Amino acid sequence: MSRLDWIVLTITLSGIIAYGLYKSRTTRDLDGYFLSNRTMPWYLILLSIMGTQASAVTFLSAPGQAYTDGMRFVQNYFGLPLASILVCIAFVPVFHRLKVYTAYEYLENRFDIKTRTLTSLLFLLQRGVSTGISIYAPAIILSSLLGWNIYWTNIFMGGLLIIYTVSGGAKAVAYTQQLQMVIIFIGMFIAAYMVVHLLPEGVGFIDALRVGGKMGKLNVITSGVEKGTFNWNDRYNIWSGIIGGFFLQLSYFGTDQSQVGRYLTAKSTTESRLGLLMNGLVKVPMQFAILLIGVMVFTFYQFNQAPLFFNDVQVKKVANSDYKDSLRLMQLEYNLLGKEKMLTVSKWVNENKTNADSKESEAKLKLLNQQTEKVRTDFKSLIKKTGIGGDNNDTNYIFLRFVIDYLPKGVIGLLIAVIFLAAWGSIAAALNSLASCTVVDIHKKFIRKDCSEITDYKTSKWYTFAWGVFSIFIAMFATNMGSLIEAVNVLGSLFYGVILGVFLVALYLKHVKGTAVFISAVITELGIILLFWQSSIGFLWLNAIGAIGLFILALILQPFFKGKKEGIRI
Amino acid sequence: MNEEQEDKIPLFKTWTQWYILLTIVLVTLIILFKLFTNYFA
Repeated sequence: MSRLDWIVLTITLSGIIAYGLYKSRTTRDLDGYFLSNRTMPWYLILLSIMGTQASAVTFLSAPGQAYTDGMRFVQNYFGLPLASILVCIAFVPVFHRLKVYTAYEYLENRFDIKTRTLTSLLFLLQRGVSTGISIYAPAIILSSLLGWNIYWTNIFMGGLLIIYTVSGGAKAVAYTQQLQMVIIFIGMFIAAYMVVHLLPEGVGFIDALRVGGKMGKLNVITSGVEKGTFNWNDRYNIWSGIIGGFFLQLSYFGTDQSQVGRYLTAKSTTESRLGLLMNGLVKVPMQFAILLIGVMVFTFYQFNQAPLFFNDVQVKKVANSDYKDSLRLMQLEYNLLGKEKMLTVSKWVNENKTNADSKESEAKLKLLNQQTEKVRTDFKSLIKKTGIGGDNNDTNYIFLRFVIDYLPKGVIGLLIAVIFLAAWGSIAAALNSLASCTVVDIHKKFIRKDCSEITDYKTSKWYTFAWGVFSIFIAMFATNMGSLIEAVNVLGSLFYGVILGVFLVALYLKHVKGTAVFISAVITELGIILLFWQSSIGFLWLNAIGAIGLFILALILQPFFKGKKEGIRI
Repeated sequence: MNEEQEDKIPLFKTWTQWYILLTIVLVTLIILFKLFTNYFA
């Protein structure tokens, strides 16, 4: 990175930390620290919700995902608009009416303490681990950029954001997210403009779309049907997106404290709802735009030599191993194919512009892409064979590598800052929510029940700090998880269905009590883990199976616990 | 602010109107995406 990039990066990041500290002043109690004294307007709620959901993973992995697998990942969000309405109708008014700090507090009112504690612990487990992944995502950038040790980079990355998150709680989180989102939008717009601008002369945006489309990267809508039958193992298609995605988003926005904690800071139920509904409107187009940047990067590399493997660190390791000759041969073959691809794609674009017959060039381009992909797959196998360790999936490196290799000075610094800020937005919200659950659901229930407001406030700060340290620790083990965006979603899907099921029973099955729902939750969770472990079913289905399975099981089990006196009905 | 004012539906009078709006937006997006996929394939 040039000096200019470092200046842009340093100014942007220190500006956010300073702004976060400046906005840190709240009342020194739990209401101020975790709920900003419930004063936020809807547009801040919207930006906060977006900033929490869109982590660095979104901006790092999504373009890479489009590059390798096409745009079908956007279908993952098709369930969001309808899920947003249901959250607004069923969850938001209950949380506001009871004036809860965490979503799980409601479950003690409705069921019992053990159900509240179980769901809170499930949340803490999955959110704690996925926050670690969210720290690791931007850390790989620094480590590959500067050659820094990944473990030290994780510590450096996590440490900076802890400063303002510990200091200012939910208020600092919301205000920094507002500024972060503005910078992120500007940065991504510039990246989108630059990638089109860097295409060869005479090749425009529409030409780039044609190339991406012909190579199968604009597969936004896929049916999941293969050879006449529906493939349940297919991860992203319109049905898994609408049905599985609906349950995933319902669970995420209705029961995940990292999101519930954002809209509970609103000054009224209406402001919370408006923030959520607006997010439901803008999320799909936003994700589409980010994925489209990935397709543009793919097209760019049709006209320019793409690296054999986008993570240079791994290539260097193989070059220093006993397999360096195999690497040399692969590199030679890949470069030759790349050169032929550049000539073919240019020929194809010209033929299209002159309305000449382009079928031959198109077929050749497809074949060349298959051949280059095969060389890449062979190289990934070679990484495994060498036993050098590390990641043999370069999806997360694609966008970053393009930025570093081709974008002008200053813009590189800005885009690195964008990735940092996106990470900080979601991590800060996660740390705040992890601390609120630990303090409200665990500490004040089981460790120290009667503390002064100032003691609670100080304890909350310590827990925020402790979760930051824990997440950095988890980040150290995130190196072999493949696509990070998938890893986060897969992890969430293991727990979200069950947590959602508990809430759905609480809201819609008034005769079902605590013990039946608790036992159902434990059995269903074990079943989901077993299903994930023993089958290759698309992970989005786990959300629906978990929620519906628990709902039915609780209905079946309730008659067996009829005689027991338990629970307060809300 | 009383509970009724506090609990009001934003922008519309009923939740059905929100369902209709968001369903229309989603279906429109899916149709546009499908046309986009087919056009450039």
